[in-house]
Amino acid sequence: MAIAQAMCNSFKKTLLEGKHNFLNSGGSAFKLALYAESSGGKNTSTATLGFGTTAFTTTGEVQTSGSYSTGGGALTRVNPSVATATTTQTAFTDFADLSFTTASITAMGALIYNSATGNHSVCVLDFTSNKTSTSGTFTIQFPTADASNAIIRIA
Amino acid sequence: MFEIGVSTVGNVNVHTSQNGGLTNEQVADLAVEKIVSISDDAPPHIRQQAKQFREHLKKVLYNYLLLARREERASIVHILRSNGQKELAEYIRRL
Repeated sequence: MAIAQAMCNSFKKTLLEGKHNFLNSGGSAFKLALYAESSGGKNTSTATLGFGTTAFTTTGEVQTSGSYSTGGGALTRVNPSVATATTTQTAFTDFADLSFTTASITAMGALIYNSATGNHSVCVLDFTSNKTSTSGTFTIQFPTADASNAIIRIA
Repeated sequence: MFEIGVSTVGNVNVHTSQNGGLTNEQVADLAVEKIVSISDDAPPHIRQQAKQFREHLKKVLYNYLLLARREERASIVHILRSNGQKELAEYIRRL
């Protein structure tokens, strides 16, 4: 599979290096870029994204359309959280929903990356099938920010 | 030694539209997905109640979204008419 949902291996390393800050106020700048698996990309190359992805790439990224431009859209951070308890708990963080308007886009997946420090990758999202907007809105709805659903969870 | 267990990526929903923005129903779906999540592990009767609540919530949100869009159009029409754009105002009023 060319696009496989995963938390990037390099993210775990760069997280330990202190290169990411998910706080809503004063945190790092994160972006979401959309990718096509075959047709729909800005070039003939197919996007290959997964746990081995280390940084943002334009290979296979969808073409500029409407409010979508190269590099993707800026994400709004949701403060990291963890339940205070005597047992082991899951820490999590999330993002606000992101929409691209008046856009003609066909995308199979996305890459979330830190555009503030070296475009380091965070995670790959697999939409499992092509999603298409035609002169319309392309909305990515993030899951509920809790320990069971949030986009990034560390147990 | 301390070890971090499992790191997980959640699932996103993608909603798209053709020749215009998202419909009221799609926006209602977006809102309901954020408000109500039903655990796969919940007992069947709890899941059934949660599903019924979600459907009811979606209908309420849908109707208020219709109202919100209509009221916003009314405000836009008023502003356009006040500025002499009667033809454009009428076009928007009929949307």
